[in-house]
Amino acid sequence: MPGMTAYYVSRTLISAGFGGLLAATGATWWMAALTAGTVFLLFLWAPQSGRYAVHPELGVTALRRDERAQGITDKAARNAFVVVNGVVLALVLYYGRHEPAGVPVSALDLLLALGALTYFGADLWLRHASGAKD
Amino acid sequence: MILRNRIRDLRLQKTLTQQALAERVGVTRQTVIAVEHSKFAPSVRLALELARALEVSVHDAFWLEDEIGGTVQCPE
Repeated sequence: MPGMTAYYVSRTLISAGFGGLLAATGATWWMAALTAGTVFLLFLWAPQSGRYAVHPELGVTALRRDERAQGITDKAARNAFVVVNGVVLALVLYYGRHEPAGVPVSALDLLLALGALTYFGADLWLRHASGAKD
Repeated sequence: MILRNRIRDLRLQKTLTQQALAERVGVTRQTVIAVEHSKFAPSVRLALELARALEVSVHDAFWLEDEIGGTVQCPE
């Protein structure tokens, strides 16, 4: 994409930095390289994805959500917030009644995964529902 | 009330692609498609920008329709 040099250079540095951070914190070199490569591919895909309005004149911040994308993201985040808090409430009530010792840590991992799943699921569904199919 | 528009007709009259129109107003092609299909009601700002990009007034590009298909007149 023309005029996007600043964007691509900055994302290359971010991907390399992320890989370096992983390697420095104990990941194997191939895992760090694979992760950095994946992150860089996501950055390469983003301008073509149709999820962002591309403004090359803005340099490193060339990708912006337009008003429809922002509305979808806000709704997806709201859905995830409501679902996660509803499940937290249910867990607190359940464990408060049956196992007063507390909520197991593994339940919190599942809660994070549920939040992410709800967010991305709602995002995909809302994009599909609001039209852009051709 | 449903917000209708003739963005698609106006765009084709000016031989613009959806991508070209999207770039002119600073949104994604998906947003132009959603507006053309009346699946997304644009903000006043975006409606004005679309009308300006297509060189028409916003009244020529957008109107409100009631649920039995009648056009709602805008007060002058």
